[in-house]
Amino acid sequence: MSQNNGTLNLRVARIESVTPEIKRFTLVSPTGAHLPAFSGGSHVVVLIANQNNTLRNPYSLLSSPYDTSSYQIAVRRVESGRGGSVLLHENVSEGDLMEVTPPANLFPLIKQARLHMFIAGGVGITPIISQLEELRLSKVPFELHYAVRGEEHAQLGKELQATYGEQVHLYRKGIESRMDICRILTGRPLGSHVYACGPDSMIDATLTSARNLGWTDSHVHFERFLEQSSGGEAFSFTLGRSGTTIEVSPDQTMLEAVEAAGYTMPYLCRGGACGHCETEVLELDGELLHTDDWLSEEDKTSRKKIMPCVSRAKCNRLVIDL
Amino acid sequence: MLITGIKSRPVYDRLQPLPGGTRHIIAGQGSGGRAMLRLLDDMVGQDRPITLLYSQESFSGQDFLAGLQQHPSHQLKVYASNQALIDDLNDLLFDARMGTRLYLAGSESFLGSAMQVATRFDLNRDEVLREHSGTLVRRVWCVHCDTYTENVTQRVYDCPGCGVTLVVRDHYSRRLAAFQAVKADAEVPGELPEAEELDT
Repeated sequence: MSQNNGTLNLRVARIESVTPEIKRFTLVSPTGAHLPAFSGGSHVVVLIANQNNTLRNPYSLLSSPYDTSSYQIAVRRVESGRGGSVLLHENVSEGDLMEVTPPANLFPLIKQARLHMFIAGGVGITPIISQLEELRLSKVPFELHYAVRGEEHAQLGKELQATYGEQVHLYRKGIESRMDICRILTGRPLGSHVYACGPDSMIDATLTSARNLGWTDSHVHFERFLEQSSGGEAFSFTLGRSGTTIEVSPDQTMLEAVEAAGYTMPYLCRGGACGHCETEVLELDGELLHTDDWLSEEDKTSRKKIMPCVSRAKCNRLVIDL
Repeated sequence: MLITGIKSRPVYDRLQPLPGGTRHIIAGQGSGGRAMLRLLDDMVGQDRPITLLYSQESFSGQDFLAGLQQHPSHQLKVYASNQALIDDLNDLLFDARMGTRLYLAGSESFLGSAMQVATRFDLNRDEVLREHSGTLVRRVWCVHCDTYTENVTQRVYDCPGCGVTLVVRDHYSRRLAAFQAVKADAEVPGELPEAEELDT
């Protein structure tokens, strides 16, 4: 398998529709070699060539960490986004090559846990699938509570039920009752951990329920979707070290604008969660629009730091330390 | 306060109410009872259940049982030895639910043993507070024969397990809840390090 700039060029071995909106891609090495190992909850970033730029979309791996002969990703088609998922749905065929970064994990299982509780909605099931695979060799009990919008969106959930049986609780809208996160988390033994991935409302309900029940932050884990439609107004900023002015278009992030201008900066999740792209603000005339989960409230009000992968600014002047 | 120059030695806390807890377990031994009583004063007015565990075993002979008995609205369990308390803490945590907060007060040996139990149940630093009280004596583990010796105050001592003359290293193991001691004259037989009082 060839590598460019640390990325992997993989062959698309299979494409399946698993819901009306989600396609599952199976990726293998063109030479048949094993792929880099990963742990449950990992993701890769898929590089998608667009007309005059490259989109970088992170997708969770849903294959087994114990089988690195292939990777699987699930891509939900987002019409309102910047077009990356639509390009993958429409332009990629079996046999094509796909460029992805090696796996990274921002949503790992906690090895000391006595009980794993997974809460997922829709395509948020994807990182949890590989976590469950990892748990196959573990004796620690787990429960999965998975909500989907209806029967036609339930295929991944039904596959998991077939594999894991009663440990999987499926909530299909219009069929089963609504998921009651507070009830799910009530009365759990010491050493329980909850992992949530799904829409913001589901993650917020998990955080609120856990806090009300006395769970501390060290037992609560979540991964938000990349908000691909969360663009904003155009603005510009300056790279402090070179003095270059960078224009950010409404559908671009600061990180993407930096990359489009030919500069590189550290990143991992591109979703405001991992902290790798944290950058110091040197000058600011205006407001920072923070949308990340990384900076503390104090950091956000200090006007001294920004996460360029998701956050924006409404400003006359912004200089960052890059 | 403990000497803090030892990197591996835990940094202990001052007991204070932890936010968000739905049940509080306060366990102490000997002079740790003073911190338990202070914490109970700080918790007046909150309506979550509190369980008190107190061991009367003490190196210095201090006993705060009478003071703890002045709080009849909380369940109080009393033990003759630290080990009996720690065994019961294990049973209590086995049945406990998420939302429990644990507070520990006492000697370093007691705190270390209780933390071994807390770690078994995956209680993290945002769920447990530890306050040290009493003397600076160390629990020491012999790397050669696996014997634990309580209340060691000298840098060099003879292991009661294997008889080897040991030097106590400033290396605390949280897993073993003890300092490590190794053969004192391993480099040059007969050449012993200088005897000294520990932590002074």
